[in-house]
Amino acid sequence: MSRRARLLVGWALAVVAVVVVMIDQRDVGIARDEVVYIQHGEHYASWWLGLVRLEHGVSAASITQTFGGPSATDNNREHPPLMKTLFGLSERLLHDRLGVADEVTAARLPSAMMHGVAVLVVYLFALELAGLAEAILAALLLLLLPRALFHAGLACFDAPTMTLWFATVYAYGRALDGRAWPWQVGVLWGLALATKHTALLLPFALGVHYLVVGWRSDAARAAHGAGKLGAILGHRWRVIASLAVLGPVTLYAVWPWLWFAPVSHVRDWLAFHLSHVHYNYEYLGRNWNAPRFPWHVALVTTLFTVPVATLAAAAVGGGVWIAGRVRGAGAPVVLLALSAAASIGPFLLGTTPIFGAEKHWMPALPTICIAAAVGAVWAGRAAAGRRASEARGRGAGIVVIAVGACLVAASAVEVGVAEPYALTWYNALAGGAPGGADLGMNRQFWGVAARGVLPELVAEAAAPPRSTYVYTHDAAPAWALYQRLQLIPGTLLDAGWEQAGIDRSQLAIVIHERHFNRHDYLIWRSYGTVQPSFVLRAGGVPIVSVYRRPGYGGEAVP
Amino acid sequence: MAIVPALLLVAIAAWEVCAARRDAGAVPGDAAWRAAGLQVRAGYQPGDLIVFAPDWVDPVGRMQLGDLIPVAMAARMDAARYGRIWELSIRGARSADTAGLAPVASEDHDGVTVRRFERAPAVVVGDVLERLATATSTGARPALALAEVGFAPHRCLQVSPAPGAPLRIAFPQLPLGRELVGYVGIADVFTRRDVRSPVRLAVELGGKILASAVAGVDDGWVRFAAATPPGPAEVVFVLGATDRDRRICFAAEARQ
Repeated sequence: MSRRARLLVGWALAVVAVVVVMIDQRDVGIARDEVVYIQHGEHYASWWLGLVRLEHGVSAASITQTFGGPSATDNNREHPPLMKTLFGLSERLLHDRLGVADEVTAARLPSAMMHGVAVLVVYLFALELAGLAEAILAALLLLLLPRALFHAGLACFDAPTMTLWFATVYAYGRALDGRAWPWQVGVLWGLALATKHTALLLPFALGVHYLVVGWRSDAARAAHGAGKLGAILGHRWRVIASLAVLGPVTLYAVWPWLWFAPVSHVRDWLAFHLSHVHYNYEYLGRNWNAPRFPWHVALVTTLFTVPVATLAAAAVGGGVWIAGRVRGAGAPVVLLALSAAASIGPFLLGTTPIFGAEKHWMPALPTICIAAAVGAVWAGRAAAGRRASEARGRGAGIVVIAVGACLVAASAVEVGVAEPYALTWYNALAGGAPGGADLGMNRQFWGVAARGVLPELVAEAAAPPRSTYVYTHDAAPAWALYQRLQLIPGTLLDAGWEQAGIDRSQLAIVIHERHFNRHDYLIWRSYGTVQPSFVLRAGGVPIVSVYRRPGYGGEAVP
Repeated sequence: MAIVPALLLVAIAAWEVCAARRDAGAVPGDAAWRAAGLQVRAGYQPGDLIVFAPDWVDPVGRMQLGDLIPVAMAARMDAARYGRIWELSIRGARSADTAGLAPVASEDHDGVTVRRFERAPAVVVGDVLERLATATSTGARPALALAEVGFAPHRCLQVSPAPGAPLRIAFPQLPLGRELVGYVGIADVFTRRDVRSPVRLAVELGGKILASAVAGVDDGWVRFAAATPPGPAEVVFVLGATDRDRRICFAAEARQ
């Protein structure tokens, strides 16, 4: 197959990924954080469009009004703006101007496109590392990771961070070929930084890898003493220069909040995350909201949230790598391992916030998928080597396709049972969603499951134009968007927060997480009953309860 | 041997295809729960306790039978005062409230197992929740609350002592039986997160400490108990905390 054809395969897989994500996200509820990012993305996009149209200039006042402010979370300044800006621009184009998508779908498209890029980059990395079969399989396995697919459909940062992290890794690996202007690696790292602060971990991986490759370089082998150190550090110095210069410059360029007082604003940004509050997170039967956390959270959670067949194949692939059967210029396997280690390593410390679970160490997933593809293809070829001696090439191909197809089928089935409540899903090793519940694993977060009870609430409520107050719990931030999407009528009103909101309400929902049990009890106190009228389940596991105030029969609210 | 890795991967993938689909349908649905509920309703007597296992299926159980579970029962101190207990369970789970008991009847409804337990209930002669109006306090007065303690509901007396200044809450003429049993914990998950120190409770009778307990932020609903001489007496609960905003939640029953 020609190089052009191989590239086309990669791009085709990327397009398929975007389509799959956009189809999958249609039934996914609106995440609490997503509302914030969409809202601020609109503001950021307006500011940039206004600047381009010369409607305003660049002033500290206008930037502060849009991107900053005195408090740590003013205008969402605790998160860099790249994806939010893209959410806003997409919404402007697809929803406001062209009218081809609702505002949530439009805002989610950039994340989906980023996931397509992730599939493409994984494909390209595996193609250069191992071959076409490995590349196709690695791309498909990445696409069919249930949790990653879920996150890729949200207007949030986690899936895009994985993309830009791994794109930086890929660009860095290619930049080691000695090219004169390795600008791509610096720019991509800058974009990763402009997406999420976790990109700051990436230099640990790249730095160690750079030293390893430098140590192995001909110049270092030939040098001695101080000259050896210089040879190691300077063997591809332009790559380091690109990261050191273009990374921060790119971050600076896309984040107007850094255009004045950049040092203090960067300090504030990082300080926010270094002292981030520990949200509640259930793990192995216990609610965790303060360190020290178990060192194995990331490992066990990954073990239960990546399809089992993919993990098994990755173990085989790891063995193949350790046995030295796959080598490449520039130590690509070491690079993959370091990339995953830098992403997941901080969560072994016991002090890093764990509340987001797998979404926080998603950049480790490309390594797992590439390892799985390498392992599966190696296993297929090894099996064919004995059994198809006469038509070895064709026989090997058939066996490789068969093994790969089994892996893909396993992942596809997991995706099928996981969506749209993938945060409640656990893999077959855990026993699925009910197995995860038995193990005391986290049920969900961000309130996305509330979307599943909207039809029930509409059915229970007074018919418009009469109004009904609903205690919306963790779906409160998304309520106005649900109304604008016409998933609920405007007469289904958010009753407000906590006990006062419950006391005002005729209907109430509780989105089940362990630390949210208290909302059940607040409702019991107000409604005088412990009996929900409806319980939404995923894989049989309760995820949202609906309560109707006794005596309320859909009559009008005074 | 070269074929083993491929066979293993194919076998694991095939198992996952089957297991994932099976797991997704492994939890009994509404029809099974309705059938189980009908059995409970047919044999239900007022005052029976209904519990569900595992804990995570509790909302589904309450949806079916919640009208037979008063709020006070759902937020009970413990299950000792209930002589008849219905346990509806799935996936082989058992409720902590039926631990050590043998069912007098058991029937399965497509995966929902209904077990009935019968035993001699504890006879409660005095309950501090019912005698709050008679209590005196050396500081803040406790309030009757339905609180989250250890992620479970509990009706309790809730109060926040000043840091380092133990609060003495006295119940004069509390009818006592042979045993005083109680529980203490810290209400509210968010204050438990933000303030990590434990709270202490001691029970005094006639100036002597009968029982004591320490409840940490991850300890949940901590039991204490002591033998008591039958008859009315002043019982003092001494509550202490080293930090502010420790929402101490306690309940106690005098049992015959």
